[in-house]
Amino acid sequence: MIRFEPRTERDSLWTATSFAIAVAAGLAVSALLLASTGADVGQVFAALVQGAVGSPKAMATTLVKATPIILTGLATVIAFRAQLWSIGQEGQVFAGAMGGYLGGQLLAGMPPLLFFPGVLASGMAAGMGLGWLAAQLRNRFGVSEIISTVMLNYLVIYLLSWLLQGGPWGEHGTTISYQQSPMLPDETFLPALFGSNRLHAGVLLPFLAAALCAVVMSRTPLGYEIRGLGYNPEALRHKGVNIARTVTIILLTSGGLAALAGATELFGVAHRLRADNLVGLGYTGIIVGMIGGLRPLGTVMAGLFFGGLASGAVYMRVLGDVPASLVPAIQGITLFFFLCAGVLARYRVVRVAVQ
Amino acid sequence: MSQLFQEAIIVSILAATIRTMTPLLFSAMGELITQRAGIWNMGVEGTMLTGAFAAYIAATTTGSLWFAVLAAILAGALMGAIIAFMTATLRVDHFIAGLGLNLLAGGLTLYWFQSYIQGRAQPTFSGFQDVAIPMLSDIPVIGPILFSQRALTYVALFVVPLVWFLLYRSRYGLELRCLGENPKALDVKGLSVTARQFAAVMTGSALTGLGGGFLMLGFSDRFLADFTAGRGWIVIVALIAGNWKPKGVLIAVIAFAFLESLATHLQVLGAQVPHQLLLALPYLASIVLLMGVRFRTGQPTRLGIPYKRE
Repeated sequence: MIRFEPRTERDSLWTATSFAIAVAAGLAVSALLLASTGADVGQVFAALVQGAVGSPKAMATTLVKATPIILTGLATVIAFRAQLWSIGQEGQVFAGAMGGYLGGQLLAGMPPLLFFPGVLASGMAAGMGLGWLAAQLRNRFGVSEIISTVMLNYLVIYLLSWLLQGGPWGEHGTTISYQQSPMLPDETFLPALFGSNRLHAGVLLPFLAAALCAVVMSRTPLGYEIRGLGYNPEALRHKGVNIARTVTIILLTSGGLAALAGATELFGVAHRLRADNLVGLGYTGIIVGMIGGLRPLGTVMAGLFFGGLASGAVYMRVLGDVPASLVPAIQGITLFFFLCAGVLARYRVVRVAVQ
Repeated sequence: MSQLFQEAIIVSILAATIRTMTPLLFSAMGELITQRAGIWNMGVEGTMLTGAFAAYIAATTTGSLWFAVLAAILAGALMGAIIAFMTATLRVDHFIAGLGLNLLAGGLTLYWFQSYIQGRAQPTFSGFQDVAIPMLSDIPVIGPILFSQRALTYVALFVVPLVWFLLYRSRYGLELRCLGENPKALDVKGLSVTARQFAAVMTGSALTGLGGGFLMLGFSDRFLADFTAGRGWIVIVALIAGNWKPKGVLIAVIAFAFLESLATHLQVLGAQVPHQLLLALPYLASIVLLMGVRFRTGQPTRLGIPYKRE
């Protein structure tokens, strides 16, 4: 007979094994899903790999696709490690793009060294505003951040829809109005790296942010408070830490990181304000952060993996008849197996003699 | 003349309130059963979405609306089994399990939907129509509001006293409430906590799935991405605002439904406000509502805490 017993100490080999099993199981179930709709499984996976890492161009696309989801993943890490279940990343991405757009209008004509930091900061400020609101609702009125952030997501999305459709920011054609802003001028595009036309300088931001997050989490009093809030808030309170203040700082930081994703997408990829390319980035960030084990380095790796999936999906859609929404499906499946693997990693298999 | 016009509008808004209430009520009663058993199921949105999707597929392939209702119920129960496995068996944090379920449901339904309609026009179906109860529906004002509704609406109104009876007047209900208050008492008596939580979550999620299914069959003729549009979260708000009691939840659900039907009517009446503002009303109201809810005496004490035998 085999039985599972909780582990007292960590075993990194067993942990790695259980996560490898999770990836394999995730891929196996994804293959079943593909087969269930009659797709050629081998061909689809080959196209995915080809489109993710098959050429320098594919790898550049992977990096560009990974950029916003690593940022929203880091936003998840900061909040979830403190057991603050903020799901506001989705709305904060939108807010980041909207704040960035507004900043772009105010700072138009400024030299690039002022313009780009300025628009990124104004984007982040918008996301931080949403984080602040969720923190106030929690601290003052006891509203759970899970509910308030979901509601705020919908409010922000309707606000953007109004700004672009009936409001001042829309692009108005002669007969129809599109749900998008006019194209931004060329000089507002984030500068390109290595002369590539798609690899914008914004792809450096997630790595910078991840390094910063790692240092803050492990080396600073704030990091201690974040971990403490998740671990034992009562002990933290007895140490004289102002919990409300810590909650506010955490949600501000998380909101700012998620918003950075929106601003980067606006000035690096879409070059016009529209919802299509922002939808789902926040929710994907939650998956990425959780699969990354709520650690900055793990989040970067999970983000690159999902960026590769998204980049491969473009290739896959061109090659085969497979809908691009395969990617969110694979993401959801992978997440579930990782959650199970996380449990598995904490147990060990014990052989028990049958009496 | 204008008085008559106003009366017609009020009747129409109230009738729409009852109609809009139906899917929310099914889902909320399902979640009430689940949460009373101690499981904080955050996957309501995903469960409703899956129910709606299953109903859509069943309705367009078989052409039978009642078969579609059954599909929604089964899909909901399946989602409940996943949540129960994650929370009661594996003891994964309830919030994470629910969030995971929502993301999984969003991804899977969209992929299957796009594969289903690929290369053709999206199939549609004709949903449930109103059933006017003879005689009663002829009563002025009250008749059209209460007695000219979809058949399932009458069922939904019947579910509230049923859940109340189940919770407070049956032995199952006693055990179920015990799961959320003091699971150890059941364990000590040699009764399986895990099995009972599975039963509760699957029953509750089946009802929640039915809510999603009715949203599809009663209000639409086709599936869309993010079809449920946050209604699952509003169900959770209704539970908190209703203090985890059937009557309280019913009142909260009616309030949300009234707001939604008011918003759609304001649009029809040509009110000079952006329609996005009207659409945002229920979400805004949720936040304001929760700001006012300070005392949660009805919350099961062990809600969201995985049970572990010491």
